[in-house]
Amino acid sequence: MKLIIDNLSKTYANGIEALQNVSLEIPKGMFGLLGPNGAGKSTLMRTIATLQEADSGTVALGDINVLKQKNELRQVLGYLPQQFGLYPKISAEVLLNHFAVLKGITNKSERKNLVKALLHKTNLYDVRKQNLKGYSGGMKQRFGIAQALLNNPKLLIVDEPTAGLDPVERNRFYNVLSELGEHTVVILSTHIVDDVKELCTNMAIINQGQVCLKGNPLQILEELKGKVYKKTIEKSELSFYKQNYKVISEKLFLGKPTIHILSDVNPRDGFTLINAELEDVYFSEIFNHSNSKSI
Amino acid sequence: MWYHIFKFEIQYRIKRPDTYVFFLFLFLFSIVGVDFIFQGTDLGLMKKNSPLVVAKSMGAITGLFMILASMIMGVSVLRDFEYNIESLMFSTPIHKRDYLLGRFLGSFTVLLFVFSGIPLGMMLGELMPWIAADELLTFNGLVYLKTFLLVTLPTVFFGAALFFVTGALSRNLVVVYTQGIFLFVVFMLTKAITNEFWQAILDPFSLTTTTFITKSWTTLEKSTQDLPFIGALLYNKLFWFSLGIAALVYGYHKFNFNVVKEKRSKGKRKQISKTNINDGNEVIIPDAKKQYDLRSKWAQLKQFSWFYFMGICKQPSFWAIVICGMIIILVNSVNLGTVYGVDSYPATYFIVEELQETSIFFFIIILVFYSGELVWKERGAKLNLIYDATAMSSFIKLAGKYVGLNLIYIVLMLALISSGIIFQTLSGYYKYELHVYFYGFFLEILPFLALYTCVAFFIQSVVNHKFVGIMLVITFFIANTALGAFGFDHDLYLFGGNTIGTYSEMNGYGHFLKPYLFIKSYWLLFGILLLIIASLVSVRGIETNLVKRFKTGKYRLSKPLFKLASIVFLMVIAIGSFIFYNTNVLNDYWTASEATAFRVDYEKELKQFEYLPQPKIVDVNLKLELYPSTRDYTVEGYYILKNTNTEDIASIHIQKLLEGNITIDSLSFEGGATRDNQYKKFDYSIFNLNKVLKPGDSIKMYFKQNFMTKGFESGSSNVNINKNGTFFSNSDLPTIGYTRKYELNDPSDREDYNLPLRSNKAERENVNELVNARSGSDSDGLNFEMIIGTSKSQTALVPGELLEQWTENERNYFHYKMKIPIINFYSIVSAEYEIKKDQWMSQKDSITTPIDLEIYYHKGHDYNLDRMLSSMKASLNYFTKNFSPYQYEHLRIMEFPRYAQFAQSFPGTIPFSESIGFVLDIDDENDVDMAFYVTAHEIAHQWFGMQVEAANVKGRHFILETLSQYAAMMVLKEHYSEDKLLQFLELQNETYKKGQDREALKEPSLALVENQDYVYYAKGAIQMYQFQKAIGEENVNKALRRFLKDWNTRNGVLKTKTDRYVTSKDLLDYFKEVTPRDLQYMIPELFESVEALKIITDVKN
Repeated sequence: MKLIIDNLSKTYANGIEALQNVSLEIPKGMFGLLGPNGAGKSTLMRTIATLQEADSGTVALGDINVLKQKNELRQVLGYLPQQFGLYPKISAEVLLNHFAVLKGITNKSERKNLVKALLHKTNLYDVRKQNLKGYSGGMKQRFGIAQALLNNPKLLIVDEPTAGLDPVERNRFYNVLSELGEHTVVILSTHIVDDVKELCTNMAIINQGQVCLKGNPLQILEELKGKVYKKTIEKSELSFYKQNYKVISEKLFLGKPTIHILSDVNPRDGFTLINAELEDVYFSEIFNHSNSKSI
Repeated sequence: MWYHIFKFEIQYRIKRPDTYVFFLFLFLFSIVGVDFIFQGTDLGLMKKNSPLVVAKSMGAITGLFMILASMIMGVSVLRDFEYNIESLMFSTPIHKRDYLLGRFLGSFTVLLFVFSGIPLGMMLGELMPWIAADELLTFNGLVYLKTFLLVTLPTVFFGAALFFVTGALSRNLVVVYTQGIFLFVVFMLTKAITNEFWQAILDPFSLTTTTFITKSWTTLEKSTQDLPFIGALLYNKLFWFSLGIAALVYGYHKFNFNVVKEKRSKGKRKQISKTNINDGNEVIIPDAKKQYDLRSKWAQLKQFSWFYFMGICKQPSFWAIVICGMIIILVNSVNLGTVYGVDSYPATYFIVEELQETSIFFFIIILVFYSGELVWKERGAKLNLIYDATAMSSFIKLAGKYVGLNLIYIVLMLALISSGIIFQTLSGYYKYELHVYFYGFFLEILPFLALYTCVAFFIQSVVNHKFVGIMLVITFFIANTALGAFGFDHDLYLFGGNTIGTYSEMNGYGHFLKPYLFIKSYWLLFGILLLIIASLVSVRGIETNLVKRFKTGKYRLSKPLFKLASIVFLMVIAIGSFIFYNTNVLNDYWTASEATAFRVDYEKELKQFEYLPQPKIVDVNLKLELYPSTRDYTVEGYYILKNTNTEDIASIHIQKLLEGNITIDSLSFEGGATRDNQYKKFDYSIFNLNKVLKPGDSIKMYFKQNFMTKGFESGSSNVNINKNGTFFSNSDLPTIGYTRKYELNDPSDREDYNLPLRSNKAERENVNELVNARSGSDSDGLNFEMIIGTSKSQTALVPGELLEQWTENERNYFHYKMKIPIINFYSIVSAEYEIKKDQWMSQKDSITTPIDLEIYYHKGHDYNLDRMLSSMKASLNYFTKNFSPYQYEHLRIMEFPRYAQFAQSFPGTIPFSESIGFVLDIDDENDVDMAFYVTAHEIAHQWFGMQVEAANVKGRHFILETLSQYAAMMVLKEHYSEDKLLQFLELQNETYKKGQDREALKEPSLALVENQDYVYYAKGAIQMYQFQKAIGEENVNKALRRFLKDWNTRNGVLKTKTDRYVTSKDLLDYFKEVTPRDLQYMIPELFESVEALKIITDVKN
């Protein structure tokens, strides 16, 4: 089973082109959707999650025409939105049970076992009786994934799930996610490159509503091999380098700017060749894409 | 700094559409405000823009729409928490004082803008086309402005402060709404305060306050005088204003600039973070079937209903409402079924009515607000996207919320029922009729709420703006009520249909129940359709544009839902058609305007016949078969008509009662007649006799009339022919000639249709009416005989001695005959009765036959039978001793259902409503024995009404009613004491005052009284008391004795010599005869002038 997105476009009433002819083929396993804030990731995710209409294009999951057969898709969909709240005055167990009914699990004993297992899985079992009001960000996010898994989804969409989580919680969250890839199409949208590097077998980079790169992270890294150089410079020199090199990223290191540039040949001049990181891929694509647009 | 926040607040609100929606709402409502607030009450001489009326209307509108203040003020701080920007706000270097002050003043300014819609709307209201010029004083804008500043502003300020503070402190919108209920409870509690002054001070909307300060005003002053801003009104306003200040000060001290509300949850939080961590990898997720079939949907619906129900149950504010509801009833239901100042036993139906009346506001608050909260629940918690991406049917979700909210109503109902039972127990009344409670709430209130909840869900789903939705729901309530008030009240289009009608212990819900159930089913099915549509267009996902939602809605219509919708739709059509068949095909449905037009035509075309010489009925001989279970009857037999005129009569005009159920199957005259049908549409037939009726000759008129109940009618139906407790009179039988009561009565309507001014009673010298004892009198006395059959369980009664009684074909038959002629006024009564019997012998004359005394009563209503019986005896004693002998051999009282609240005297028989004497809880220490008094009054009519009849001109009721009041008062005084009588008179004094306030025209004197009951009952009683006090009871009785002797219809010395009936002028002559010369001045003063009477307390001293 694959998720096939074909020529999907969406323009908002205010003229923003959130998606422009987006085409993607997403197989089973973890799929990372990378992109800066406002790139159109959430629009794409919500469209796949049947929460939004597209202007044109199709989305199919196996036999299911996602844009038309919404309810069929919803039966096999797990969705964790970017932002969500919880009813403060009820417990995780009660709310999870409620969601299980919502998703059609109406056999009482089966539901009970399922809820119990998922609470264990997401490590919430000990606090299952507590009101959700007291949950921390990480616990809330784990609860979110627990509800998404209730209906044993074939398609799982998680929209920026690690935003605001501390590293420990993030790892714990990944552990839960990583198991699922074997049977499920998992789409993980993020603007954190490391998320993709650690988890995903496939990825795409999306910017300004368009897909600018797709593929296997390792292969993509291969393409940049021997092309990324690094140099630490003074702040005042920054504009000079930006004019003369393809500067794909700038970071502060011990207070001084460190720039990464993209170059087919060794620029010398104090630059040192480095092993390309996925982050460099990301920044270079964003760089290329934005430049090509502005020209 | 505060100014900056103030400005920001105003700018923010200026951009919000709700600000304008609220203003517009109040503005539009206020245009009809006075009419709405004072609907059904007679303003009397007061005008629609009299300062007092303006003040009351403004106070009431302010009170009604205090919820607007909660919606504006409550959110002003709460908003920061809802949008999660409190951390940004509170970490900036603003002072708490500036923040709160700026926010409060900003919101309050906006609130004032919104409420300025009230005076503006009311001013515009003066110009509305339906307001006649004579209903208004000259326009004076200052009155509105002043009232707004003095009456509305302090109240609004208090509300604003309260709502602002609760919003800021609780950070919970529902708590804010609940304050509205709290305020209402306070208002209701003030009504329970017996001290008028404190009541006036504590009333938050100053309704009782204005009544209190104008208590001593004359009607003219009430109409024109400005309200003085001193005394109780000033204190009231100061009180509420300072409470507002106190609320603000309290809120200021309590408000914390911390983002996290510190609460008990702290402990739990620690506990949570302590839990140990395992990685959970080894957990295997078991398989669970996902089911989407109908059974699964049913399980979902159940779980959802319970989930949403529990969600509301967990809110303390809901329980606050429940407790308020219970308390208010316990405080408020002290006065139940009060008649003439005496309370009734706390029978369950009284309690239910009281509970319904006081709690409906609570229910509506819950309905309006919680439906908004429920529709917005997921979005409020930001869980909507998770819900929306599941395969859950939108309809099941909405239906779950719907059922959940209805369960909430049920909880409140059960709470109210238990408080009712507690109240009964505390009052020492242990006949808990649980079925009456059950019907009262689950049959009457729940369907009403269930229906409006459909509308509320529909509106909230469609408009997608919570507050605008709330206002629209309220608007819908008002609009639907208005539609009914304007006479568009057909059950098929008046949303929800009409109410079920009165519950009676005798007749239960009677024949109202069946149509009610059909009509409610029709509307509930319609409600389900609304819910289905609502679920199709409700927001799912992030698209909120209404047009797009409507377009995509059809894709959401799943097959099972489509099936359901189709079935429901077909059922709506089917039941609707069935209802239409019943109301409009089997029965006639008339809109108010059709009925008016009919009356106009009736008068225009037939008025010419009003005083056409017609024969009089001298003999009635009928056989009536009543079928209570099917509510049918047939009556056949004959009248003997006699030409008492001096000229020949060639044609006889017969009017059938204008009621669709009644048909006259045959009508023929001895000697034959041809029927002229040109006025058929008025059910008015002219029979041209084959042989003219010479003066002094008689003719037999045979007829057969049928009353057939066909299906059911829209709205209120006939309540005279009942399954148990039938009571109607001879006015339902064919009558002779033009019937004045069908004329249009309302003066402004008459003007609209170019009809001349109509007075209720003719002048005292009117020669046409002097010979009539009642309107359109068909008889000057008749011989009466009737056989009446009814069902086996019932007893049927008409006037007359019971000659024979038998059972035939499982039916009871009774043969009654009057030994002496009676007036043309007889009742037909049948019900399942218990009987209490006794006998009375005249003390004056031991040879006369004993009089049978009988009370026919509903089983269980035996509280006051002894009081009634002793009144019968005491009255007969007093009247025979002081006036004249009693003319019949029986005296019966028969109970009838409480659809009407009166007792009425017919010859020898007195139908007596269930509600006015049988269930009164009379405390001889504190109360006047009204069961005794009313009985005495009705028995007095056996003299003043049955023995002597008065001419149908001004002053008629002075003779009939005032004299009966006098006679009954004397019996009361003799049997009880002068003190009890004075207590009774104080009540009459109050009634009289109230009547004066309601009087729209000029108050008449007693001698020329028309239909003003406050004059002929209340003032009459007071004046007669003073008269007998001055000239002596024995002298008054002497005058009445002479009066009766001369004017007895049957054998009066003077009456037998003249055609005309007696008038008040004659009566006053008899009074003059017995009044000493030095007191003669009293007679014109007491009876012929309108002057304010001497206060009753003068008499006491």
